Amino acid sequence: MKIKVAGTGLTKFGELWDKTLFDLAIEAAMESIKDSRYTVNDIEAVFVGNMIYGRLSGQNHLGAAIASILKIKGAGFRIEGACASGGLAVHLAIQSLLAGTYKNVLVVGVEKMTDASISEVTSALMGAGSESERKAGLTFPALYALMAKAHMIKFGTTRKHLASVSVKNHFHGSLNPKAQFPYEITEEKALNSPLISSPLTLFDTSPITDGAAACVLTSSNSGPGVFITGSAVATDTVDLSARLSLTEIAATKAAAQKALKQAGVEITDIKVAEVHDCFTIAEIMAMEDLGFCKKGEGGKYIHSGATNLRGKMPVNTSGGLKACGHPVGATGVKQIVEITEQLRKRSGKRQVDGANVGLTQNVGGTGATVVVHILQN
Amino acid sequence: MSSPVEIWRNHKKLKSYLNKVGKVIVWTKIFVAPGGFEHQVPYLVGIIQFEDGVRMPLQIVDCEEADLKPNKQVITVIRKIGKAKSEEVIEYGIKVKPQ
Repeated sequence: MKIKVAGTGLTKFGELWDKTLFDLAIEAAMESIKDSRYTVNDIEAVFVGNMIYGRLSGQNHLGAAIASILKIKGAGFRIEGACASGGLAVHLAIQSLLAGTYKNVLVVGVEKMTDASISEVTSALMGAGSESERKAGLTFPALYALMAKAHMIKFGTTRKHLASVSVKNHFHGSLNPKAQFPYEITEEKALNSPLISSPLTLFDTSPITDGAAACVLTSSNSGPGVFITGSAVATDTVDLSARLSLTEIAATKAAAQKALKQAGVEITDIKVAEVHDCFTIAEIMAMEDLGFCKKGEGGKYIHSGATNLRGKMPVNTSGGLKACGHPVGATGVKQIVEITEQLRKRSGKRQVDGANVGLTQNVGGTGATVVVHILQN
Repeated sequence: MSSPVEIWRNHKKLKSYLNKVGKVIVWTKIFVAPGGFEHQVPYLVGIIQFEDGVRMPLQIVDCEEADLKPNKQVITVIRKIGKAKSEEVIEYGIKVKPQ
């Protein structure tokens, strides 16, 4: 049985004051259904990826809420795995198709973050970490700052290496009309931005964003679509202090290994990738953990231009989480949308020539959950 | 931060963490704080490794960022955690300071 992405939908990402969470979910969902050859009546289940809406607004029960608003007469689920909620929603939707329970399903990743204050959102996001981390006042920028510190001590990674991730992703984002920050930045601007949690600055940090992404998945043999040939999840300790290493995300290696094996491809076959740059250091570690470059050389690798749009191995053509934005529950689904559009040759100015095999990596917390997908024509 | 029941349950464990010597593995200085920590900004937090091999994320007090380096020796102390509202129970917990 082969699983296809039959349609995709994506809202603009940004501070969308006049849109509710449901407005965003419906917009992305209807766009993806219209893009597919299916109608609402063909959809048998909705898998919703969302992390913090329940805490911020008081509204839970999103699976049923979104299914009913879309007039989908079927099952509805909300899946949560911190910032990997979207990727997990895609993974579970695939499992339901492989099990034969459903034939056509809808996945919607959605997050509404700008109705609450920054302080409330920061606190809510700390739910992705452990209780001892919350008691120590460790925000998410601070947790990744600790990993950046470890990486700098062990491998000599520099702030210029970190900045090169931000500069590259902003360049890609400037080509993406849906991006929250569709403009380029200079290395100087990145290096001189204010400290959030040393050594990470404002430009090392992905923003607070509203947005939704959706895709229709099917196990049907007929009709067009991009195949998802690998889908794997790995977990690790929620507490960063309990990990074996502070300079890698072991769950990335485990999930990638499984997904690549399922797809029957090597990392060297990948032509385009979307990785989880919640903070610049995360993209540096992702290059190493996925096997695009050697351990400790992620900073040099990205700084060399290898992962630019016209480089050997384009990464985060959407602008990544930094420039496209990071509506937490939506990101994992957005990554699937971006790679699907690349493989369908619909990426316009940011099209990677000859892209026929792609990879997405979606991370929850500091690496307690990682979801990797492989897509092929 | 925590409810009176949680504070009561946790305080039984506090005794076992007193006077433990450890070393700072990594650290960061936080400038943007979550609710309950705004009054402490900026503050230092690190991952501390204790002599029994256990690592914990803990606030580093009575210390400047410039004084920190890998393996700096620290000792546990009891300090206030967060900021209790006037009707809440004040929560105490473990932090570390340079030894």
